[in-house]
Amino acid sequence: MSGAADREAVFPTRQSLGLMKAKLKGAETGHSLLKRKSEALTKRFREITRRIDEAKRKMGRVMQIASLSLAEVTYAVGGNISFQIQESARSARFRLRTKQENVSGVLLPAFESYLTEGNNDFAMTGLGKGGQQVQRCRETYARAVEALVELASLQTAFVILDEVIKVVNRRVNAIEHVIIPRTENTIKYINSELDELDREEFYRLKKVAAKKQRDNAETDAEMKQKRENQEALDREAGESAAADDSAPADILAVDEDEDVIF
Amino acid sequence: MEGLLFNVNNGYIEGIVRGYRNGLLTGANYTNMTQCETIDDLKLQLGPAYGDFLASLPPNPSTSSLAAKTTDKLVAEFRYVRANAVGSLAKFMDYLTYGYMIDNVALLITGTLHERDTRELLDRCHPLGWFETMPVLCVATNIEELYNSVLIETPLAPYFKGSLSHQDLDELNIEIVRNTLYKNYLEDFYHFVNNNPDMAGTPTAEVMSEILEFEADRRAINITLNSFGTELSKADRKKLYPSFGMLYPEGTLMLSRADDFEGVRLAVEGVGDYKSFFEAAGLGGGAGGPGNMAGGTGSDGKTLEDMFYQKEMEISKMAFTRQFTYAIVYAWVKLREQEIRNITWIAECIAQNQKERINNYISVF
Repeated sequence: MSGAADREAVFPTRQSLGLMKAKLKGAETGHSLLKRKSEALTKRFREITRRIDEAKRKMGRVMQIASLSLAEVTYAVGGNISFQIQESARSARFRLRTKQENVSGVLLPAFESYLTEGNNDFAMTGLGKGGQQVQRCRETYARAVEALVELASLQTAFVILDEVIKVVNRRVNAIEHVIIPRTENTIKYINSELDELDREEFYRLKKVAAKKQRDNAETDAEMKQKRENQEALDREAGESAAADDSAPADILAVDEDEDVIF
Repeated sequence: MEGLLFNVNNGYIEGIVRGYRNGLLTGANYTNMTQCETIDDLKLQLGPAYGDFLASLPPNPSTSSLAAKTTDKLVAEFRYVRANAVGSLAKFMDYLTYGYMIDNVALLITGTLHERDTRELLDRCHPLGWFETMPVLCVATNIEELYNSVLIETPLAPYFKGSLSHQDLDELNIEIVRNTLYKNYLEDFYHFVNNNPDMAGTPTAEVMSEILEFEADRRAINITLNSFGTELSKADRKKLYPSFGMLYPEGTLMLSRADDFEGVRLAVEGVGDYKSFFEAAGLGGGAGGPGNMAGGTGSDGKTLEDMFYQKEMEISKMAFTRQFTYAIVYAWVKLREQEIRNITWIAECIAQNQKERINNYISVF
């Protein structure tokens, strides 16, 4: 039994018993709250995992289509246009907004993509030939990037949630398996110590009472003895007083009594 | 008549080019290629045609390196032919390279405009469009210097003259510059094949006129279709149309006024071939039309672009039925370019495991 070892270092007093009881109650409330939080997070986590799976499959498809459309551009234009594209791009058309989502007190970043309208830096690329393919390829890649953004925000949420769930579960387990048993042990210990003290006190009182009784009995016996002696004396004196006036014994006149000591 | 003396100067070249034409991949080759499971298989299939050029590639090469190597072969053969050409054929072949030069110069202008180190760009230039003074273009650090002291030294100088000032280079979109140059180039080329004493009235002039007219029309139609929804104004657009071709002048005038796919269709109605292209493309869900950015899967039918390529290939193929003409050199280069595109497309489809569209290549033999 871990009883003696696994408890807090407190003096077994009634005050600390009260403190411990409050602590136990707090720990139990905290435990149930954290447990609920962990469950909520896990639910969210599962949902995100499912969505990541979906997003990844979607990304695979979209990227395939996108790279094929790039091949189409190469076919139609008949050359490498990457440099022109790179140079003519001036400002980003596809932008991201970040916002935060609150799941049971955990802030998850969420990315939201949007297209800036009327921003087509290379609208004229492939004017002579292949322009339509270039534009179509651009649209396809915009969709591919959208899928990537979605996946990115899911992945970030996944990592963060994973971390948080681990911490919360650790706390739940710590409360459940360490703090609550320890507090309970401490309370048990304090109770047993207090009981021990009670018993000791009771025994002591009993001892005192027993001693007193014995002392009383002794004094009583002494008194009785003394009285008997006196009576015997009186009788002797009465016999002699009968002879000589047999005056009643004058108690006051008699020599002082021995002091009675209790 | 032209056959009398043609072979004195150009017989060897014609023989060589006809030999090269026989080396082009045939339909059976393409069918074999589409059955390939990996790029390595494809490389094996290409062995007879491209063996020595593909030998240095690592196993499972990327499609871009495959394309680069196949282009290398074209460039090597072209240079050999060019080195053996004399007189007006040499000039003709120079004209052929100007189209690539325009692309290269546009690339360098873009680099200069954005103050990049243009030396890096030399590697990206198309080797066919290489000219001796091209590295000099890199010396210029600003656009005015480029225009005043460097561009005038290039073979393209006449195309700049009169239509573009150095302010234009700075302000206009590079695509407009490129297409202006290309328009001037096509007109000049057209003029050259029809007025050079060696070519005027020969099959060369006849065949080349057909090819160049088609090229001019194709550019006009493409520019119109691609400019919908951009800031290119109709007046500016009109300036980019070459001033010859089957559509010129009524068709181009109508094109310059077209606002949508339907307008373009009406403009080209007068030419039977284009009309049928547009009808086919229109049936395919208007794939050529702007705003229809279904993207991704694309249309199942052939796009307008595909049909233009198909037509170009057929014209090129027909060029070989003529004797004593320079046009076969042009046709051969175009056929080879299409072959490279086909190989790249098939390789891309194999690499991405998208077999359902692998048959989109164009084969005419």
